[in-house]
Amino acid sequence: MTDTAIEADALAKRFGRLGRATWALRDCSFRLPAGRVCAVVGPNGAGKSTLLALAAGLTAPTGGTVTVLGTTPGAARARVGFVAQDKPLYPQLSIAETLRMGADLNPGHWDAAAAQRVVAGGDLDPKKRIRSLSGGQRTRVALALALGKRPELLLMDEPMADLDPLARHELMGVLMAQAAEHGTTIVMSSHVVAELEDSCDHLLLIGEGRVRLAGEIDELLEGHARVSAPAQSDLSPHTVIESRTTGRQVSALVRPVGTLRADWQGGTPSLEELVLSYLRNPEAPALTPAKSEEFSA
Amino acid sequence: MSAALTAPTRVHLTRWVVRLHRPALYLWTALILALAAALLWLAGPLADAAAEAWQRYNACADMGPCAYDQDAILRYKDYYEYATYAVLAVPFLVAAWSGASLIGREVENGTARLAWTQGLSPVRWLATKLALPALLVTVGTGALVALHRHAWVAGDGRIDTAKSWSDFATFYASGPVVVALALTGLVAGALIGLRRASSFGALGGGLCVTAFLWFGIHLLIPHLWSTVTKVTPMAHNVGPSGNGISVTQGVITATGARIADAHCTADTTAQCQAYYADLDAVSWFNDYHPAAHYWPLQWIATGILLAVTALLTVVTFRGLRRRTTTPEGAAV
Amino acid sequence: MVEYRIDRHSGVATYVQIVQQTKQALRLGHLEPGDKLPTAREVVEATAINPNTVLKAYRELEREGLVEARRGLGTFVKRGLGTATADSPLPGELDTWVAKAREAGLDRDDVAALFTAVLEKHFLNQHSQGEPS
Repeated sequence: MTDTAIEADALAKRFGRLGRATWALRDCSFRLPAGRVCAVVGPNGAGKSTLLALAAGLTAPTGGTVTVLGTTPGAARARVGFVAQDKPLYPQLSIAETLRMGADLNPGHWDAAAAQRVVAGGDLDPKKRIRSLSGGQRTRVALALALGKRPELLLMDEPMADLDPLARHELMGVLMAQAAEHGTTIVMSSHVVAELEDSCDHLLLIGEGRVRLAGEIDELLEGHARVSAPAQSDLSPHTVIESRTTGRQVSALVRPVGTLRADWQGGTPSLEELVLSYLRNPEAPALTPAKSEEFSA
Repeated sequence: MSAALTAPTRVHLTRWVVRLHRPALYLWTALILALAAALLWLAGPLADAAAEAWQRYNACADMGPCAYDQDAILRYKDYYEYATYAVLAVPFLVAAWSGASLIGREVENGTARLAWTQGLSPVRWLATKLALPALLVTVGTGALVALHRHAWVAGDGRIDTAKSWSDFATFYASGPVVVALALTGLVAGALIGLRRASSFGALGGGLCVTAFLWFGIHLLIPHLWSTVTKVTPMAHNVGPSGNGISVTQGVITATGARIADAHCTADTTAQCQAYYADLDAVSWFNDYHPAAHYWPLQWIATGILLAVTALLTVVTFRGLRRRTTTPEGAAV
Repeated sequence: MVEYRIDRHSGVATYVQIVQQTKQALRLGHLEPGDKLPTAREVVEATAINPNTVLKAYRELEREGLVEARRGLGTFVKRGLGTATADSPLPGELDTWVAKAREAGLDRDDVAALFTAVLEKHFLNQHSQGEPS
């Protein structure tokens, strides 16, 4: 087992033909250590789904490379679980059949009890057909299928979108238990930061097809500061992510270089503040491991 | 691994391909059985009744009333036609199903992605998805073609209105060409199903490719085997002779030159004679394929279609591989 | 066994909440030396928080000498906290006092305000325990 779950280097994906081509992902470099629970956050259409599909070996990159569990996404297939955004399942199969299919298609590493438990948590009749299930129930079966595979890396695209708060909490608990017990690396995307804040320890913020922030959430938060200073204060040499002047005060979110002046009231931003500041300011310099010299200076 | 892992040690995809396409399997079996029964009925009781009616008709003198079962003759003729067109429709049915249901719907609904993220490669998935239907299509269509041939043989020489072997509907419905076309349809449907994200588009695309290839092979067939030439002297005044698939017809002049397609369309024999005299024609010629060429033509055309199918298969697999995996050597 | 309740709107870091709640249980005698803390798996399954958060809290408790991790067995309480355990007269006295205050017509907020004021007077300039410095 390698200590790196996903490593991307200048990863790029373009859709469409020349002329009308659009870059879904561009110059994307980051490293996700194994055993982390990573939130992939960004607005709709930012490239989150494309990134997950690339890591799952569902689509080939236009440029750059992505390494999954130390090998190519294709070679890692048997060790990676994937839950697509629309939770595709065969509508004509029953829940029990769907799980049996999972067993048949994942020889050697199928955990029937784990899959069964996830389904049982939703009080679902195993004989029920997939086509008769609600969106939330389908999500539960899709998660059961992915967890039954007992993956080393679990990729999930907006996994919680269709779930009611109760099921969301319960299934997130199931996922966290999986991570605690088996050291599974979990990557889940969402455009709602709050829903991932307590469960994730790693962040990948994507905006307009590029990585804006990547790293441990604690370190990212500690690496930024909210400051409130008199207007016309010179904020350099600190990197200003966002600043707003109201009256005689300027409030800003900065990446401190060295120590901040003591008389500027500060504080550590919340994850949501941090994410929103970066998304509101596309011009703000990205912070990824490749560019973290400034951060460690 | 712990004892909780109770999975089989091999990937069992075949049973799930069968399970997921069970309605199609039932429908296909029912279709083959029904058509086979109809063809057996045609070759047996229907052909016998029509043959007997013809025998009675031919025994009748030119004059006076003639008692024969005209309905039996017409029934054989009609049912033969229906059965022939039913067999000819099979490749289209297969292409439509393959494009729309076997592959297209999986791509459209995202279930293909579900399958590709299990413990088997997309290429393996496609191979299984194509191999099983290919086997069933070959066996089913092959049986239909053999039975159609059987029904044709039953009428040949006994029923005066029976279709000639060179009637194109008969030619295709009772030979291996249609089996090859069904396989082409299967692969064409899959190819387009994987390329287009809509199952409806894949259905239409599969149909179009199949029709296009059929048309192409139809244009090619007369040229796949060297023809036999039959020369008939003008004096016989019957036009070109020789029964089979004709390639070129025309007249030969006194100098030995061949003029193709020199047809006389005039109203009277005298005018025609003048037309031929004008050309200085001494005989008619007919380059054609006699009945003996039936099997060579069938097998060569079948071979070409199978080669095209193999090519389409390679394109399909390479496309899927390129789409889903990082090229070898590109990854660290 | 303690059951942790995480309040994500409290503004207190999640691992600090676990530390505080464990200490509270130690003070009230719900946890005694030798007791086993729930495993990280049990905690995260119930609370849906990140496993590393639980481990961080347990490390903090271990650093303070309150618990010890035994490899392969789990995390166990090493020593209790405070003196307000079940066999001390203090809880009973406080109970009597609160009952009296209620009889005198004080409502919940009145009692809380009174209690906080007395706390402030006796523990001047002392931070609440569990808040990391």
